[in-house]
Amino acid sequence: MARRSLIAVLLAPLLLLAGVIALFALTKGAGLNIQPAAPNEAIQFERTVLRPGVIELHIRNASADAVTISQLNVNDGIWPFTVAPSSEIPRLGSAVLTVEYPWVHGEPYRITLFSSNSIAFSTEIAAAAQTATVSAGTLVSFTLIGIYVGIVPVLLGMAWLPALRRLGRRAMLLLMAATVGLLIYLGIDTITEAIEQAGELGGPLQGFGVAGIGLVGTVFLLDALSRRQMMTQRTDTERRMTLATLIAGGIGLHNLGEGLAIGAAYSVGAAALGAFLVIGFIIQNLTEGLGIVVPLIRERPSLRALAVLGVLAGGPAILGTWIGGLVSAPALSVLFLGIGSGAVLQVAYQIGRNLVWPAAERRQMPITAFAGVVAGMLALYVTGLLVK
Amino acid sequence: MPRSQGTGAASGRHRGDQKRSTHPSRRDILRLGLGGIGLAGAGIVTAMSGGGLAPEIPAGAAGSGHDGHRPQGADGADDAFAMPTVRGEVNHAANGFDPGDLLTDFDGGKVSTLPSGQTLHEYSVVAQEKSIEVVPGIRFPAWTYNGRVPGPSFRVRESDRVRIRFVNATSHPHSMHFHGIHPGNMDGVFDVASGQVPSGGTFTYEFDAEPFGVHLYHCHTSPLAKHIAKGLYGAFIIDPKEGWSRADHELVMVMNGLDIDFDDENEFYAVNTIPFHFNHDRHPIQIKVGELVRIFLINLLEFDPINSFHLHANFFHYYPTGTSRTPTEYTDTIALMQGQRGILEFTYRHPGRYMFHAHKTEFGELGWSGVFDVRAATPN
Repeated sequence: MARRSLIAVLLAPLLLLAGVIALFALTKGAGLNIQPAAPNEAIQFERTVLRPGVIELHIRNASADAVTISQLNVNDGIWPFTVAPSSEIPRLGSAVLTVEYPWVHGEPYRITLFSSNSIAFSTEIAAAAQTATVSAGTLVSFTLIGIYVGIVPVLLGMAWLPALRRLGRRAMLLLMAATVGLLIYLGIDTITEAIEQAGELGGPLQGFGVAGIGLVGTVFLLDALSRRQMMTQRTDTERRMTLATLIAGGIGLHNLGEGLAIGAAYSVGAAALGAFLVIGFIIQNLTEGLGIVVPLIRERPSLRALAVLGVLAGGPAILGTWIGGLVSAPALSVLFLGIGSGAVLQVAYQIGRNLVWPAAERRQMPITAFAGVVAGMLALYVTGLLVK
Repeated sequence: MPRSQGTGAASGRHRGDQKRSTHPSRRDILRLGLGGIGLAGAGIVTAMSGGGLAPEIPAGAAGSGHDGHRPQGADGADDAFAMPTVRGEVNHAANGFDPGDLLTDFDGGKVSTLPSGQTLHEYSVVAQEKSIEVVPGIRFPAWTYNGRVPGPSFRVRESDRVRIRFVNATSHPHSMHFHGIHPGNMDGVFDVASGQVPSGGTFTYEFDAEPFGVHLYHCHTSPLAKHIAKGLYGAFIIDPKEGWSRADHELVMVMNGLDIDFDDENEFYAVNTIPFHFNHDRHPIQIKVGELVRIFLINLLEFDPINSFHLHANFFHYYPTGTSRTPTEYTDTIALMQGQRGILEFTYRHPGRYMFHAHKTEFGELGWSGVFDVRAATPN
């Protein structure tokens, strides 16, 4: 009985609210009856597929109401096209437009869609190239790339463990602090990328919200996991292993995003760009391996344990290439960028809190810690200047 | 030149890339940075060429630049090459006019004789706001004379009297400004006294028709480009006293453009308003071998400085502004600036399908193209 009355009390305000909304609708918005002067339409171009003589556009309606695509322009010509399932695309719905167009390899194209309300939406093909089709063979190649990008460099980085044990304390601290700086810089840069892509998602998809959920969710998830482990584990050895696992997991999430970017690059025919990404990721991921083993310098972890850590950190890159190559969803990409940035920032925080700052305090080397962090960030900035 | 542009409140979304996440970003490239550690690894990847996923250039594509071409007949029965056109057909009945009918519906008005013996042509013109389906699925909020774009094709004889009672039934001021020789207070430019007509107002334009030729009229209310581009214009043809030579077909073609999103650039081009209407797969103009065709051609294109007319597989005699009975040129292509017009005369020798279109090919592929379907002459 008490339970029933509780439900009634909980529901009453909701029922009243429904009444207020109904009243608002019936009075046509408190009598203001506001109509926009022009319809507020938005289209998201999710994917462009090029086959010989055919251009295929995958689009999503990112506006508040349904949008009808009426005509299509390719490089200043009106071209006939087919659209599936329907040229009237419901809110958040998608459609595939197919144009028979004799495109030329390597040349740029600008495609403009006109909605029934005369609103134009444009997308560009920077350099036309046939879109790679995904087959068993490409999946094997994707897997190989994932291994190259994720697992191999992480394991190689971890192989520095014996060398690390011989480093002096100041050098060791400097190295750890530099890792923190590198990760912070990566985090900032990933957030920038997430914001850039989020801004291109339409209103209803709420790109910034998606990125924020990914970032904040990951930060607090990793934090909660580490706290739970720390609560149950008593020995320093266990704690250090937990920290290493946490770092490996965070880096794994980050590498998932990297795999995604590579797979997506191949799937739209930007294979040369993909190869460039691969090289960049390999170099970076070498230092990720370093970050994982730093907490274990004083431990004697088994080879098996190290291998598990390596796979945890590098393996998700494989999964990422598959998703990126097979699925095309900008919202998902934004989510993964958010997750990736949250992961690297959380890992930076963990390394800093557990390894760098305690050591800096204990050994009275605060300037070394500062210098390491800034050096790590500058290393990425300067090499960025050189590479770009 | 219509840069295809995003416009409107929401469409500022120029999707820059095929897929944003695919391009190496600052973030990605910065990753190259980690102090150059492991450059050896980079070499390995270059050698493996991305795990066998190097960009594939289709056979025969390198250098030929034709890999995108769909082979003729690739999709079976239809061996036609893909050509630019709109998707679907506009509802001419709902629009209230058909571009094909506009070719020939010359309007002499209500004809009577004045006490002086002069012939009088009386017209009634109403400026109306009208939503026209200019392109299949896309409606254009036009301003029209008598509900059509272009407006009525007035046709009178040299020295006849023309009297046009103009009613402005729109919410904006408008006027009718005729090209011809007439008094300043009939010019439709400066004020109410000279024919600017406020919303709900009326004015009667009256003048003698001269000189003979193919002329035009349009609204002369500012902003002028807007008032013309919205559809307020038409043909004004003055026949010489002794008439033209006999022709089998006399056709009015008003070359115009459609700025459907009001960014002062045309998204579509046409003759008589509806893009691609006279194309081979829509409504080609039917004529016969040996028939004399006379086209009254008028350029009323806004925003682009030059328009043109090109006739396939034939040549025509050209009479600039139609004010002389002697052609100045025998050609197959002419260029016209805004407001320029002339008369074309030609005869086809061979049956077949012949395109006519703007030789600014971009305009052609954006709608300004059509076809003469020439059949063999029927033996008498």
